[in-house]
Amino acid sequence: MKRKLSIILTLAMVMGTFAGCAGKTSGTSSQSGGKASGTIKIAVAGPMTGDNAEYGKGFVNAANMMVEQWNAKDGVLGKKIEVVPYDDKNSGEEAASIAQKIVSDKDIIGVIGHFASGVSMAAAPTYQENKVIEISPSASHPDYSGMGTYIFRNNTVINVEAAAGLDMAINDLGKKNIGIISIKTDWGTSTSAIVKKLVTEKASTGVKVVAHEEVMEGSDDYSPAITKLNAAGADVVICVGMYNLVAPVSKQYKQVNPNIAVVGFSNAYSQQLLDLGGKAVEGLRFPVIFFSGSENPKVKTYVDEYKKRFGSTPSALTSQAYDSVGILLEAIKTAGTTDRAKVRDAVAAIKYDGVTGNTVFNEKRDVQKSFVKVTVKDGKFVEIK
Amino acid sequence: MSGILTRNCVATVIIQQLFNGLALGMAYALIAVGYSLVFGILRLINFSHGAVYAFSAHIALLFVGLNFGIIPAIILSIVLTGILGVLIDKTALEPLRMNNSIPMASLITTIGMSNIIQNLLMIFFNTERKSFPAFFDFGMIKFGSVQVNSTQVVMFVVSLILLVFLTLIINKTKLGLAMRATEQNSKAASLMGINTNFVISATFFLGGASAAIAGVLISGYYQIVYPGMGFMVGLKAFAAAVLGGIGVLYGSVVGGLVVGVSESYAATFMGSSYRDSVAFIILILVLIIRPTGLFGKKDIKKV
Amino acid sequence: MDKNLEKGKSKNFILILESFIEKYKVPIAGVSALILLGLPFMGFSQYIMRIFIMIGIYSMLALGLNILTGYTGLVSLGHAGFYAIGAYTASLLSLKLGANFLVAAIGGAVLAAICGLLVSLPTLRLKGTYLSIVTLGFGEIVKMILINWDKVTNGTLGLKNIPRPSMFGLKLTLVNNGMYYLMLVLVALITLLCTLLIKSKIGRAFMSIKEDELAAIMMGIKTTRYKALAFVISAFITGITGAFYASMIGFIEPNSFTFDISTLIISIVIFGGMGTIRGMFLGSAILIAFPEVFRFLMDYRFVVYGLVLVLMMRFRPQGMLGWKSQMPYKLPKLVKESLKKNNKDNLKTQQI
Repeated sequence: MKRKLSIILTLAMVMGTFAGCAGKTSGTSSQSGGKASGTIKIAVAGPMTGDNAEYGKGFVNAANMMVEQWNAKDGVLGKKIEVVPYDDKNSGEEAASIAQKIVSDKDIIGVIGHFASGVSMAAAPTYQENKVIEISPSASHPDYSGMGTYIFRNNTVINVEAAAGLDMAINDLGKKNIGIISIKTDWGTSTSAIVKKLVTEKASTGVKVVAHEEVMEGSDDYSPAITKLNAAGADVVICVGMYNLVAPVSKQYKQVNPNIAVVGFSNAYSQQLLDLGGKAVEGLRFPVIFFSGSENPKVKTYVDEYKKRFGSTPSALTSQAYDSVGILLEAIKTAGTTDRAKVRDAVAAIKYDGVTGNTVFNEKRDVQKSFVKVTVKDGKFVEIK
Repeated sequence: MSGILTRNCVATVIIQQLFNGLALGMAYALIAVGYSLVFGILRLINFSHGAVYAFSAHIALLFVGLNFGIIPAIILSIVLTGILGVLIDKTALEPLRMNNSIPMASLITTIGMSNIIQNLLMIFFNTERKSFPAFFDFGMIKFGSVQVNSTQVVMFVVSLILLVFLTLIINKTKLGLAMRATEQNSKAASLMGINTNFVISATFFLGGASAAIAGVLISGYYQIVYPGMGFMVGLKAFAAAVLGGIGVLYGSVVGGLVVGVSESYAATFMGSSYRDSVAFIILILVLIIRPTGLFGKKDIKKV
Repeated sequence: MDKNLEKGKSKNFILILESFIEKYKVPIAGVSALILLGLPFMGFSQYIMRIFIMIGIYSMLALGLNILTGYTGLVSLGHAGFYAIGAYTASLLSLKLGANFLVAAIGGAVLAAICGLLVSLPTLRLKGTYLSIVTLGFGEIVKMILINWDKVTNGTLGLKNIPRPSMFGLKLTLVNNGMYYLMLVLVALITLLCTLLIKSKIGRAFMSIKEDELAAIMMGIKTTRYKALAFVISAFITGITGAFYASMIGFIEPNSFTFDISTLIISIVIFGGMGTIRGMFLGSAILIAFPEVFRFLMDYRFVVYGLVLVLMMRFRPQGMLGWKSQMPYKLPKLVKESLKKNNKDNLKTQQI
């Protein structure tokens, strides 16, 4: 009996699986058939599960907030706007598969995402082939926006940010012996290479990289790398990583050398940096394009609203996602149509004044933004004037 | 290398890296003991152990957050994680033993269990890195130019106590006798009136509890907790357990220290991105020379 | 007594199922071949077609591992390593030397096979769990090499713009379903290879090693040689699959080949029923389609996935399609004829 039951169960599962597949297809085809459904969809793709889920969820929160504001004013082109979240688990393979799914839904005008550069680049060819606009609020790999005319980024390219970070280390802090700790990911590798190149260009002023250590994701012990940097005589450490690298490195480094100065990057800018780093991140400096403590009334209302709804201050990347949605909707409004080619042209020509400053795409579909220098003082982020 | 390090620094770096490696190795050893306990009795690689370790750290964090105080939080974490170990055995593994399933079925079951625990942690505690209170941080202890963190010392001492305690349980108590009997021949042991299922569950409890001790100590050292924390550490601790001779407790400690120190030196001389696989390279070399690990016993057949 | 009765009944159930399949073997094979060939014309979206291709890829991976685990009884926890070697070698051959897909794929498979041979060398001394551990280490070491050998593998940035295969002047893509048909051809070839292999002397040697290695040695089978061969063949198939995967996805990085992939492959093999070929297809169809179909569960889908694995091992550890054949043993023609003759003779003698 047991055996029979298990076979029947098995068969039922198989049927269920295929029925599920079939059900999905009919669903999508009916959607594409009913184009005049009266809603405009915007996909938000990013890691919703897995190790980087906090970023993907931040994107969705930001997108929902922006869309609700528009919907309160009767949407765009008289249609309601809908946010559709997609989970790519921050893996290129998943992202490519999701991209296929997104492009088969004709109501989707554009995609906000993906999170990591490598993942965004795995998905980009599909969007380009099917003429769907992709705006990544976080990809910073120099090659990303070169993947196609529909591929935009609302994040500064690494070069600009690296120069800003280096400027803080050399000119503001007056340090000359630079140590680099970078995370061994596509982003970390290319960023640290750029930092190194910028330092060699300034070699005449006596600035040099004394040591560079690449560390792996998923190990929390950085003491061997720190010992090396310390022995090499670094007096400032440029820490190329997210908050989850910057906080423990600062902590472990300050146990060895309490006088070390640490410079980070804008994606270290998050509430968790303070929670994790505690006293060790005091004095940490980094450049950001979005600062939640800003006096700007527009930023203030946005930050207050976000805090009220989601219980935390929005990070820089989340805010860029917020603006990206705004840009896409504004472009649809300007284009006066949902024709993707026309919306694309409108995005390319847009001048958008959002919470992360003025956004204008250049001919490479990248943005130029001005940086605010931020430091940690008494457990709070403070702007350096 | 010489370009980066001046000559008088080299000696300091080498000694400092040795201490870094020993501290890291002690962390591996603490986790490795859990693999070793279960493997010793069931000849099973318990892939859920890394997730159990992450679970213990989250539970401790939860109770600290609920203002239970640090010591009660640790004790609760140890007890609850031990119970989780028993639950894994009772719900998933014991039925397989009753059915006389193939050994690989148990292996897949532990992989499935690891999936369940880790993803539930992600749902209930979110994926972001959370700050964990430094339990035993009394500052740095200096030996000349070499510095040792007090938490490292605490980890070292606690691991030794745990090891002695477990060895005493196995060698001096009735339970330990039953464990050894079950390990050698579970059928014969049950014929002799030993409740082997109880013995195995007790082993899982000890395994879970040791994972909790490891979880609390290591999280207290790095002050970081997140659901994926057990994965890489778990694999390396497992390598350490096999290296020392899986099923032999002091072997786990030696294996853990070897892995920790070699990782630390690999980071020094080859670069930090090489360190993750050093454990496996050493493991393979040792297994080729001594197929059962450094202190391993012979005659292991099951998968 | 009841239990026995039920056992008999369920045996009958399987017997009926199996004899049904046996009886209508040709039409069933024909219909399923037609369905598979006609799939692209049924109006599925590209997304669904992509899932079908992924199912094909994992069927090939499972078939490869099945030779090692299902038939020879050696458990590999590092097949992602062979998969990566195949994918990277083929991609580099086509990116740097402009080799066409066939050459690149064979190159990748051969290198994977050579690595398979290297990994199998410790098996001369290691048994059971320890062998699995070596393969686990192998997978991690391959990943480390991919990450650190920047000059060749481009490190963590991965390889981009891997060319799609082109055949007879036609570029195969997802849109023109060329990749789908190429997948079908590969799956068919590998299935054929596995079937022939298992029915051959080599296959019988593999199975004898799994059943009882000591007995196999007693029978004069050079087990170490056959174990190494199993590794080589398994790695070869996995390598080819890697090459196909790389050209389909167009972008590979070291993180595409993690320990999770190794466990997924082994889960498919056991889920479908190890030591069967049919099981590999069903196993990959379910385990690959599962996360896609259950996307609506969001956070919970991998909890459910784990639960399915656990329940499966609890209630059907031999895998979904893993049952021993209940069919009467097929006798060769000569034997049958002589039996008939004997029967007739017997009848005659009785009549007399």
